[in-house]
Amino acid sequence: MDKSTLLLLAMVLAIFGGSVALGHPDWGTFTGLAIILLAGGLAAGSLPIRVRDFVEERAAPSQRVSNGLVTLSSAAIVAIYAAGYHRTSLAAHKFDLQGSQGRASAEVTAVVPPRPAPNPPSNASGAASQNAASAEKKPVPRPAGKATAPKSPAAGASAPTPSAGEDASASPETAAAPVNGETPSAHPAAATPRYKDGTFSGWGSCRHGDIEASVMIQGGKIASVVISQCLTRYSCNWIAPKNPDSGLPDLPAQVVQRQNTKVDYVSGATESSYAFADAVVAALSKATE
Amino acid sequence: MHLQTQSSPHYPKRRNNDIVRTLPLMGTFVTLHVVACYGEARGQREAEEAVERAFGWFYTVEECCTRFDPNSELMQLTKHAGVPVPVSAILFEAVQFALAVAEESGGAFDPTVGRAMETRGFDRNYVTGSVIRTCVDSTTGVSYRDVRLDPDRRMITLLRPLVLDLGAVAKGLAVDLAARELQTFENFGINAGGDLYLAGSNPEGEPWSVGIRHPRRVDEVIDSLRISNRAVCTSGDYERRAANGRGGHHILDPRTGASANGAASVTVIAPNAMVADALATAAFIQGADGIQLLERYGVDGLVVSQELKCYATRGLYAYRS
Repeated sequence: MDKSTLLLLAMVLAIFGGSVALGHPDWGTFTGLAIILLAGGLAAGSLPIRVRDFVEERAAPSQRVSNGLVTLSSAAIVAIYAAGYHRTSLAAHKFDLQGSQGRASAEVTAVVPPRPAPNPPSNASGAASQNAASAEKKPVPRPAGKATAPKSPAAGASAPTPSAGEDASASPETAAAPVNGETPSAHPAAATPRYKDGTFSGWGSCRHGDIEASVMIQGGKIASVVISQCLTRYSCNWIAPKNPDSGLPDLPAQVVQRQNTKVDYVSGATESSYAFADAVVAALSKATE
Repeated sequence: MHLQTQSSPHYPKRRNNDIVRTLPLMGTFVTLHVVACYGEARGQREAEEAVERAFGWFYTVEECCTRFDPNSELMQLTKHAGVPVPVSAILFEAVQFALAVAEESGGAFDPTVGRAMETRGFDRNYVTGSVIRTCVDSTTGVSYRDVRLDPDRRMITLLRPLVLDLGAVAKGLAVDLAARELQTFENFGINAGGDLYLAGSNPEGEPWSVGIRHPRRVDEVIDSLRISNRAVCTSGDYERRAANGRGGHHILDPRTGASANGAASVTVIAPNAMVADALATAAFIQGADGIQLLERYGVDGLVVSQELKCYATRGLYAYRS
């Protein structure tokens, strides 16, 4: 049936229903209302059909396809953005900056009180660096793979004292000995560790779920890192393998080894690696508060 | 591909606080422009950092999706045809989107034209000038159906040896990611060699003005649009000619393997640059039918034919200035 006829019928029915309701007050109220309801139903039924027809004729196909592409691309952008290539690297970078600033200031102050100079500055550069290396070994048996290690030979080549200063900043308990009594102003700067001792935890998240990392700081350095809670869809074995011979990268170990949050991103578990890096950044930020 | 944002030469005072930076990236020049606002609580420094991060996306996307670096993730994928390869989010999403457009356009757009592009002379790294050649010998017969995706494990499998070309997707993707990075700023413009995203208004407080270049006469504008919160992309046959001297331009018809010659240029306006860029390329390949394609996808645009006739979608008048 034509929709306009249907609508006309509905209107006629509505008028008829109204007149019945008004004309017969004793019995007609309910009957009249029922007729009006029926009319309303007819009208409502005719209208959506018209809308659907209109939409199908004019816009539906293009709108649907286009929305599909737009939705897909928007989802892609959100997914990549959420993966947080930059969020993580930026956070890590900022953190590194903070760290290096702290280190730099410690270096400057620590240069002032040189150790009872075991190596004169006039030494040949090769000998100087060797001296620096031996000087490094003397104060404390440090764990291998210190973050500033690559710098120290160069520093040692120019002058042996800065490398000693770096040492002082990195391991405060040894720095305290030579500094004491010489220049009191240097003491607080050199003695301030990069991180507070203790255990701190932080969360990182990605679209696969959340990861909590706990970082233990001892002597101002990252002593150990563990994934305390792994709420991702995939096993955290991909980034923190239980079996050391699995060949998979061990991100918590990397943090300890490198003393910073620049971990390798694991192909196939990229987002989890970001989440883990975020978690470590969050935990370490608590350690610097 | 070329488009120019045109603004009148007289800027109000606040122009001084705008941040405008240009870097050579992705084989073209990328310009980011963040318009400073009166009463903006955030400082200049924050805007500069955001621009820095936005440029970072261009680097990241290029590093991952370029065909001109044998060590890029995309080219590593080519070396492992036949086995599922776990890939980064960027590469996966870019390929997924390219395949969706290929599907929707019935193969007029196809990301597997990479090898054909190489043989047509589009094989030079624009920074180093070194020639990239892959040892893939199947020039013909590959199509987007030879690429399989595994969304759950985020892996891509190339069923046959082929070279993917994400040129029409990656730039749009980078523009969209940069736009996302800048979205806390109300007014900004991104121009990546003709892929534009324009948000809010220009320094004069009006919608951004975009001139569409005349495909044959340099420095002339064939149409002018007013854009706000939309991406605009133009695919033209005039920008990149083949280096091998055989003539032809950089947009190949995947169905013939030769340069498509239906249109001189196609401009598309869409909510984001990925869609605009991909549809501009697809419509360009379709030539005269391109306008129907755009209508069907519900986006607006302008097709300039080889005879320099302009065909516009019905909705385009709303953008004319």
